[in-house]
This record gives sequence, C-alpha cells and structure tokens, in this order.
Amino acid sequence: MRILIVDDEKLARDRLRELLSDIGGCTVVGEAMNGAEAVERTAELNPDVLLMDIRMPGMDGLEAAMHLMGMENPPSVIFTTAYDQHALDAFEVNAVDYLLKPIRKDRLANALTKARKLTMKQLQEISQARKEPPARTHLSVHLRGNIRLVPIPDVIYFLADSKYVVVRTASEEHLVEDSLIHLEQEYGGRFLRVHRNALVATAFIKGIEKSPAGTWQVNLRGTDKKLEVSRRHTAGVRRWARNRPM
Amino acid sequence: MELSLKERLSGWLKTAVERAPALASLEPHLEEVDADFLPNFCHGWVVFNVAVIAEMLALVIALVMPRSVLSPTLAQDLLLISVYVQWIALTGTAVLCLARGRLNRLPNLRALGTAYLVLLAVTIAVAEAAVWLLWLTGRISTPRPVWHGDLHILSLTISAIINGLLLRYFLAKHELKRRTLSEARAKLQALQSRIRPHFVFNSLNIIASLTRSAPAKAETAIENMADLFRMMLAEDETLVPVKNEVDVAKKYLALENLRLDSRLQVEWDIGTFPRKAVMPVLTLQPLLENAIQHGIEPLPAGGAVSVRLWEENDKIHIRVVNPLPAKKPKRAEAAPSRTLENMRSRFQSYYGDAATLDAAENDGRFTVTVTLPTRGGES
Repeated sequence: MRILIVDDEKLARDRLRELLSDIGGCTVVGEAMNGAEAVERTAELNPDVLLMDIRMPGMDGLEAAMHLMGMENPPSVIFTTAYDQHALDAFEVNAVDYLLKPIRKDRLANALTKARKLTMKQLQEISQARKEPPARTHLSVHLRGNIRLVPIPDVIYFLADSKYVVVRTASEEHLVEDSLIHLEQEYGGRFLRVHRNALVATAFIKGIEKSPAGTWQVNLRGTDKKLEVSRRHTAGVRRWARNRPM
Repeated sequence: MELSLKERLSGWLKTAVERAPALASLEPHLEEVDADFLPNFCHGWVVFNVAVIAEMLALVIALVMPRSVLSPTLAQDLLLISVYVQWIALTGTAVLCLARGRLNRLPNLRALGTAYLVLLAVTIAVAEAAVWLLWLTGRISTPRPVWHGDLHILSLTISAIINGLLLRYFLAKHELKRRTLSEARAKLQALQSRIRPHFVFNSLNIIASLTRSAPAKAETAIENMADLFRMMLAEDETLVPVKNEVDVAKKYLALENLRLDSRLQVEWDIGTFPRKAVMPVLTLQPLLENAIQHGIEPLPAGGAVSVRLWEENDKIHIRVVNPLPAKKPKRAEAAPSRTLENMRSRFQSYYGDAATLDAAENDGRFTVTVTLPTRGGES
C-alpha cells in the first residue's frame, strides 16, 4: 500500500511515519505540508491512501480531497484531526474515516485495512456542517486526467462560453466546470459581474472607459483584453467604480 | 535495568497521551439536561415525595379533628382521612404526569397556573366521587348530605394552600438543579476558551512523537504543559508578578514552537519593571495565542510575532504585533475575535476604566496594545 502523509506539523508527520513502519505492509511514498501540495504530490506519486490533516494553512484537507475527486482514479483518504467538533459529527453521519490526534497505532492499522474511496457528496455534506464553510482557495482544472490547481487570487476574469467557463490568469487560460452563478455566490465581493457572461476580479481592474462604439469597457491589468460592460450591468459597474477603495 | 525502566515509562506516557482524546467526549453529557420548566411528575421519586407529604397532611388533619365526628378512634380517623387525601394527591400527580407534554409547551407562568387549576379541579372531583361512593355503598342515605357543602369548602381550601406550597417547593428545587447545570456548562465553556482543544491535542500528538525520537524534549514539553495548565486552572482574580507572566508565556511559546517549527519566530523586548508590578494571571499568553492562531497558523510560511512590554507613567504597557494572512476568500465575515472581547471584559472588571485594550489592523499587521495600572486593582 502506497501512502502519502499530509500535515503541516513536521513532528506529526514523523509520528505517522513511525507508526506506519511499526505496522508494516505499507510504503510512505511522500509527504506534503498543505492541501495544494497534497494535490500536486498525488498527481505525481499516485498513492493508494492519503493520511491527511483537516486543518492546514492555505488549502485545507477537505478542499484538497474535493479537488482529488476530479482525478480519474482518486486515492482513498483518511482524515486526521486534533479537534473539530462540528466536522466530526458530520464525519460520523457520512461514514468517512478519521483519526483523532494523538494518533493510536491500533486505530491507524484498523483504518488502513478498511480505507475507502470518498464521494463528492460525503465531502460536500461535511463541508456544509462546518461553522463557516470556507470558499475554495483554488479551482481545479483537469488536463488529460491530471489536475492543475489555479489559485483564486491569480484569476483575472471568468468568461462563460456556450458550455464551459473560461478562467483567465496572467499566464494561462483554462476551462472549468463551475457555473458563473455558482462562482459569483462563492466569491462574492472579490469578483464583479460586468456582463451576463463575465465576472471580473476587482483587484485587476485598471479602469473603465468608453469604447469608440459608445459602450463601456473594463481595462484590466495582466491582459490586454478589454471586457465589454453590458447595458444592464453598467449602473452596477459605475457604482462600484465610484465607491472603489483607493 | 535503567533502560528498561525508561522504556516502560515512555510506553506508559505514550498510552496516557494517546488516551487523552477520550476527555473531549465528556462535553456532550451536559447536553442531556432536563430543560423543562415543570418537574417531571411521572418520576418515581417525585411521586414518593408527594405520597409522603400527603400522609403527613392526613396525620395533621386526623390529630386536630375532634374525636367521634368521623369515627370513635384516632386510628380509624387516620385511615379514612389518609385514603381520602392520598386519593386526591395521587390522582393530581397522575393527571399532571399525563398532561406533562402539553403543559411544557405553554409559556412558563401559564403552565404553572394551569397545573394549579388542574389540581383544584381534581380536588373537587375526588370530593364529589367520595360522597357518591359512600352513598352507593349505603353508608349515607343521600348523595347530598348536609355536610356536602362543608366538605367541598374544606377540601378546596386545604388543597389550595397545600398545592400552592407544594408547587412552589418542587419548582424551587427544579430551578436549583437547572441553574447548577447551566453554571457547570458556563464553567466548561470558560475553561475551553482558556485551554484551546486544538492546541492541546496537537501538542499531545507531538509529545507522543517526541517520546521516541527525543525523550528529553518530550520531558521538557510535558513540564511546560503542566505549568501552563496550572495557570489556566488558576482563579480568574489572581494577580501575578510580570516576570511570572513572561515565564508562562515563554513556556507556551516553546510548545507552539514544537508544532510550528521554523514557521514561528518571536521577537521579545522586555523593559525593566518594579518588583511589585503585577497583572492578572494569563494576560500575556492569550494575547500570544491569539496572534499565533490568527496570524501565524494560517500562513503557510509562518512569520514573526513581536512582543514588547514596558513601564511608563505608572502603567504597564503590552504590545503584541502579528502579520495577517491576505484576506482569505470567505463566504461569511469571520466573527470578531472572542479572545480579545473576553480579555477586555476581564480588565474592565478588575480595573474599571483604568485599563485599556486596543486592537488595530494596518498594512497587513495586527497590533494589540494593552495598558494596565501597575499596582493591582482598585481595591
């Protein structure tokens, strides 16, 4: 059994390594310090099981597990946690494996023998049960069965095509499967709706100007592309521009 | 020999550390508190109490009643009166037991009033039933004997007084139980806000890890944790010398350093203090914990917390500065820090307006400044 250990505390990772070598019958193929690293390592090393802490800086364990769901053959995940009353109730209800810290050898061995693959539904229900379900820190993009993470702060705009949504960063362009409405709800204040098919990151807006054709356009940092403001959204965009914190 | 002892000790320690999470499951038991306003009249103990009190009442009535009104001897009087009083008391209890669910859905005062009226109605019904029973068994010649009205007036008056007193008694007892439980829960919450479970269990996990790789470090960590817990269990009003507060804070930081490793740096700047300078126990440590929890833990690369303590114009000044993570994309606004709110109200109760706590955020740094009078409280 190939195992990836994910925890932000080095000594906690060491402990898992030691317990696993006591138990035997498995290989630790690597370690990661946060959710984003866990997704990258998983794509690279193809482990069977992830032992993953829930609370980590940057991307947490639950979000990482959700991104992994997009893989063709996602690994099993066993969560570890020190204390997380609300989440743990949801773990029980949805029959998702978890280990409480300090981690016990017999519990770990037991969890490994019955490690199961998670479903997106389980993860979503656990996420809902948390006090303040955090928005995702990254979007996952699927490239030929592999996963690529796009950090939300890098996103300049989302543009809806007929079927997909295009996400644009300074250097890349990808297709994601989320809908614009869903993205707008999730990231509220960070993005501004300028058109029925476009959400723009307010941090990247350089200015708003009138085009020769008489319509309004948004000028953006990081790209030369100008996005058109639809008539319906003009009032909203100009209101935002007036109240813009300088 | 020595090695085996050491091994045994470290094994024992590891088991002890591993079992700690069981303690966390203590909390839910407090939730099973009977939240109802009225006591549970179906409960055996309550029924027994009612029967005992009814019997005492019967004895009093039998004793004060002139002989040969009911029957020639005291024993016969007592028997008759007991049957009558118990009949009323137990029927009343049974009715309240059956109506319990419905009564508890009413607002408190109305539930109480309804219960009282129900008991009076039971008294009238039983008195009437007793007269009919006597008539049907041929003891009296008519269902409307001359003393019929007197019996009702007497029963109702006694029932009104005794039931009033009894309901009052049960209610007071029940209220006391409820208050004791809610105080226990409040204490638990206060303790949890001091001893953050996430910190405790992560630290125990790491100590378990160290018992193998670095037993000496594990030993120090446990000593530090013991000192920290001792402080956390201290009375809220305890005042301690500034130096003690700094010592405890450093022990706390040593534990956090084990977890966060190089992600946590702390810059100290401690001025000189008069020996008599004191502050409330656990003033500095929660400030640092707050800085670490909100400033260092969420940052993948960590950062530096700076702590400055100095004395100026007869006041102790504490300033803790920590970096802030870039605003995370959040669905909801995060709740304002409860730690700081708690501390502010603690200072208020010690020093009134003589102490201040200011929190400010600018340029991605969060600064908390505390000012305390050097010499104890106002007392």
